[in-house]
Amino acid sequence: MSTVIGIDVGGTFTDLVSYDAETGDITVAKQPTTPEAPELGVLAAVDAAPGAGLLARCSYFVHGTTVGLNALLERRGATVGLITTAGFRDVLEIRRGDRDDPYDLFWTPPPPLVPRRFRREARERIAHDGTTVSELEPADVRDAAEVFRAGGVDAVAVVLINAYANPRHELRARELLREAGFAGEVSLSHEVSGEYREYERTTTTVVDAFVRRRMGPYLHNLDRELRRRGFSGRLLVTRSGGGAFTLAEAAARPFETILSGPVAGAAATARVARVLGIRTAIVADVGGTSFDTALIEDARLPLLFQGEVQGLPLQSPWADVRSVGAGGGSVAYVDAGRLLRVGPRSAGAVPGPACYQRGGTEPTVTDAALHLGMIIPGRMSGGIVLSAERAAEALAPLAGPAGLAGTDAAAEGVVRIAAAHMAQAVRGVSVERGVDPRGSAIVAFGGAGPMFGCLLADELGVDRVVVPPNAGNFSAVGLMQADIVRSAARTLVRTLDDTTLEEIAAMASTLFDRLAERDAGGGEEAAAVGEAAGAGPGREAAGEEAAALQKAKDGEAAAVRELDLDLRYRGQEHTLTVRAEPGEDAAAIRERFATAYHRSYGHELTHPLEVVTVRSTLRVPLRGEHELVPAPPSPGEPGRKIRLWSFRRRAFVASRALPRAALTERTPGPLVVVEQTATTYVDDGFTVEAHPSGCLLISRARDAGRTGTAGTSRTETSSR
Amino acid sequence: MTIVRTTFAEPRPGLGDGADPITTEIVRQGLNAAADHMKRSLVRTAFSPIIYEALDFAVAFYDADMCMLAQAPTLPAFMGTLGFCVREAVEGVGGAVALAPGDVILYNNPYGTGSHPQDAAMVVPIFAAGELVAYSAIKAHWLDIGGKDPYCTDTVDVYQEGTIFPGVKLYDAGRLVTDMYRMILANSRMADMVIGDINAMVAGARSGAEALAAIVERHGVETFRTCVARMYAHGDALVRSWFEKLPDGVYTASSVIDSDGVSGVPVPFGVKVTVEGSGIAVDLTDCPDQTPGPINCPLPSTVAACRLAIAFLAGAGEQPNEGHFLALEVITREGSLFHPVRPAPCFMYGIPSDHAIELILRALAPAVPATVPAASGGDINALVWWGDREAGGAPWADGAPHPVGQGASPFADGASALMYISESATRFTPAEVWEARNPWRIERLALAEDSGGPGRYRGGLGLDLSFRCLEDQFLTSALARTALEPWGLSGGLPGRPNRLTVEYPDGTTEDYSLKTRIRLPKGAVVHLRTGSGGGYGDPAERDPRAVAGDLREGYVTEEHARRHHPHAFAAEGDEIVPPVKVEEIHTPQG
Repeated sequence: MSTVIGIDVGGTFTDLVSYDAETGDITVAKQPTTPEAPELGVLAAVDAAPGAGLLARCSYFVHGTTVGLNALLERRGATVGLITTAGFRDVLEIRRGDRDDPYDLFWTPPPPLVPRRFRREARERIAHDGTTVSELEPADVRDAAEVFRAGGVDAVAVVLINAYANPRHELRARELLREAGFAGEVSLSHEVSGEYREYERTTTTVVDAFVRRRMGPYLHNLDRELRRRGFSGRLLVTRSGGGAFTLAEAAARPFETILSGPVAGAAATARVARVLGIRTAIVADVGGTSFDTALIEDARLPLLFQGEVQGLPLQSPWADVRSVGAGGGSVAYVDAGRLLRVGPRSAGAVPGPACYQRGGTEPTVTDAALHLGMIIPGRMSGGIVLSAERAAEALAPLAGPAGLAGTDAAAEGVVRIAAAHMAQAVRGVSVERGVDPRGSAIVAFGGAGPMFGCLLADELGVDRVVVPPNAGNFSAVGLMQADIVRSAARTLVRTLDDTTLEEIAAMASTLFDRLAERDAGGGEEAAAVGEAAGAGPGREAAGEEAAALQKAKDGEAAAVRELDLDLRYRGQEHTLTVRAEPGEDAAAIRERFATAYHRSYGHELTHPLEVVTVRSTLRVPLRGEHELVPAPPSPGEPGRKIRLWSFRRRAFVASRALPRAALTERTPGPLVVVEQTATTYVDDGFTVEAHPSGCLLISRARDAGRTGTAGTSRTETSSR
Repeated sequence: MTIVRTTFAEPRPGLGDGADPITTEIVRQGLNAAADHMKRSLVRTAFSPIIYEALDFAVAFYDADMCMLAQAPTLPAFMGTLGFCVREAVEGVGGAVALAPGDVILYNNPYGTGSHPQDAAMVVPIFAAGELVAYSAIKAHWLDIGGKDPYCTDTVDVYQEGTIFPGVKLYDAGRLVTDMYRMILANSRMADMVIGDINAMVAGARSGAEALAAIVERHGVETFRTCVARMYAHGDALVRSWFEKLPDGVYTASSVIDSDGVSGVPVPFGVKVTVEGSGIAVDLTDCPDQTPGPINCPLPSTVAACRLAIAFLAGAGEQPNEGHFLALEVITREGSLFHPVRPAPCFMYGIPSDHAIELILRALAPAVPATVPAASGGDINALVWWGDREAGGAPWADGAPHPVGQGASPFADGASALMYISESATRFTPAEVWEARNPWRIERLALAEDSGGPGRYRGGLGLDLSFRCLEDQFLTSALARTALEPWGLSGGLPGRPNRLTVEYPDGTTEDYSLKTRIRLPKGAVVHLRTGSGGGYGDPAERDPRAVAGDLREGYVTEEHARRHHPHAFAAEGDEIVPPVKVEEIHTPQG
């Protein structure tokens, strides 16, 4: 029982990685994703994984799921009814009045998740300080229940104004719904979010109600199928805000998984940063359609507490990973003003880049990279045969209209522009956190990330690039290493001083207790989980998790309590989230806030501090923090000679494609390093070496300047 | 008559010919991203909600010739306005020769910013390799910088509107000019907030300056200049490629502004748009002389309104630079509503400029019938509140715009309750945030049933907002388009205009449009009913299934549906045709 399995369901492929910490055995498997029934792809990957009895030896099966996200994207979920305070029926439809595209006269918001006829009002009112202005009118809830029954509503969201400050009426509304015979799921806003802003809380609660019906059955089916195949460990699900939670909690709080797509790669980067001692690491995850980036400081995930999907805000913690439409499949074109442009449109998996020979004719970043020798032609995984001829044919028409010398220049331009797009995204996340990217290290992964490491380093003036082991399925590795995490938050607007700190501590303590109790049995919420679970393993699992988390409540060393505060200078709206250690006084917290504020914005203020939100997190670390999962051994083939473009020399050079195993000493570029899941491009002016941790380390040669892609202005560049 | 060109410096023809197209694209992206970073920095550090929620600011870069390098998308109404004020701010302190690294210039003269004195600009010169290469500029709304009231709808000259800084150094070579700082604080009712916003603006403009300097240093000054010239040529070509598709001709439309806030009489005006080849000219000379009340629109905002109307049609999807504006000429008459001169009051300059935007679009409707919607509620419905808190007496102030229904288009119903297009990135403040901050209770926040203008496609619904005052306070109502109904197009019927009613504790009520300092006693209830969108096409042609859907969801009442769409009902008048069971876009599939 020493094996951990990680399964990541991507847009194109479902990746499995398993690792046995005792024997060091590692296996990988890849199967096509099955969007209609994702569990089929997951089980296919399990079945395809080599090694008999893998599941029987598995203690943790960690799953990154897109079921919740897909339910929203496809708008396939429960028929939801909404009960809200009289006068506020249209909050969901009025939104915040803004447009995604400020210059689009015809912009229309996506239709609300709850149609107006199922948005019912109840007379009641709580004030912002939690006092009751008027009592809940029970007849209104009963009337709503009747409308829901007649309309076939199978899940209800209850969102009352200021319920974050006093949940009494929401709790009562649920009782009344039950008394009226409503048997479906009920989501209460204060249980889902606890934060103010009624539109955002309404959306989050409705999304919760909408996707629960999909998530619970999916997870329980998967769990049952795994157990049928001999699995007796625990199924964990990746959270948007980092870490994983139990099956029972994922079924009860599915909205916490919706933004979990890119979190595993960021978490895995944090681990690399910890192992290599990197203070600031830049996530550079290049896939087929997008470039995902984040800034990892002190090996911690950059968390935000309000995300967005399909224009719907979600009050859920998520790792601040930004995505831009620049990946291997991004399409290049010449616009009406005769400039060469790249993306955001992607050729996708079908038809894919022209060089895939699957019917694509438009030039893509992958075609350009192939033309330049950064990718080796021939057969790749999935049975695709790469054709350099098709790539060149697709690229050639770009040159004339854009005023470029020929196909080589066009290919170089496509890759440089794509790299510049990626660099802008990196600058965006760096600037917002007040970090100069030049002192950072780039951690490059994803199918195409290792190809772009040196280009990004030159574009950003960075000296170090790290390509981690298993770069091609690094996200699956990342989720395999997750801690068990649960978190809760509550809005509590107070001036921060030692007196209010006591009130804050009391609130935090309540939140911690609730976290430990969340599915410890009893209560409506657990009952709802039970309903979703039906009989059988689901129920057992819930009991098991409750026991595990009970330790946390009892304060055993295994569980770590983390308290964070959203703080701002009084008068501001936006907050910075700052850790509060036990026993600290207000002055110490103010000091930490001031440091963080200064780092982000370059100045400090003398205004009083205000706390806005109290955030409690319970973390049960699963595994040691100081190891990386090694890459499986690759066959040691000899290197072969290739014609490779050097961006720094702006010319083709005679070079080598070196298998990963053949890299025994520090080697200067230009060259490419080939391994099972990724190809690493090392330009002139950089050296590459293998690190004992399994990473490839690429460093700027000491005598090399920071120029390169700018090309035309070499004389202007100073070497620091 | 003064003809005003929309760009100050002729971008140098030919300079960009030798530019590397790849480096040009990389520079262009870099400039747009740097502008965006400057915006994010300001949003995250600003103190007043009018900046961080309403995005009532603009951030942009200008080159040494005062041509716009890039502007981040914020308040569309501010598009391209900063060029005027960068030029005047620099002139104010003695021209480019008087500038040094570390300088920050403060400028808020309305005739140069295009706005009221509350919209203060910071301009930072950017040096690379010892040479002045560009400017970063931020214009943002300060909550208060003096003037007769915190927000004015009845001023009779500019001196009543706020303290004016005609281009002064706030930082001199990196050192804060404390005398100037004290002057600002001494003139503001909300000095605490203004301090925070000044800090945020200075930090934002400086971070923008650093980002831009890094781009110049990366590529070198000469390469940067040639790439920028090529970038302008690119923007110009993009816009002209669209204008060329328009049929040549002269297109006109006219309308009436409710009042100038002082005289109480309607103010008519007209627009004339001339399309010729790949160029376009907007003539706004058909308007009264500058008005006694504060609805005069200074030239920079007049130009911005024209640029914006054109951008909605031609420039969608691209962050603008000077190149995008070269094909547009704006013609105004000095001393008139759209080109006032000192000391004309202009606090409510947004009323004519917002109105002009929709009117330019309406004029062009025959030229591009598929790309112009019917009228929206047409105004930002700005309200400003202030008072002293009952407990402790602390002064407070707040202000907000409010969403309106959008006009129906040739192919769909208008969206309900969106901010007016000139302020389209602005967000409406949540009721829970309002109640936590101000002495109010929101009693109603709802879509107004039956308010959308009927047509083949229905106008978007307006908003009904009611809030009860829990303490004594003051309100300034800055509503426009309270008399003029939002027009329909192609046979569509008009929507409802904006309306503000105060219900006093004694049961009496009063309506206001432009009114400063309305006293609201504790217990008064304010009802704001924002305008809806006009309809498009004959209501008799509306798809009966759409009528049934509107009825089922309660967007219209049965009485309204029967009046405007009798064809959707069976002859005997009982049964709707087809029956209510229709597939309908609002229904998620279970």
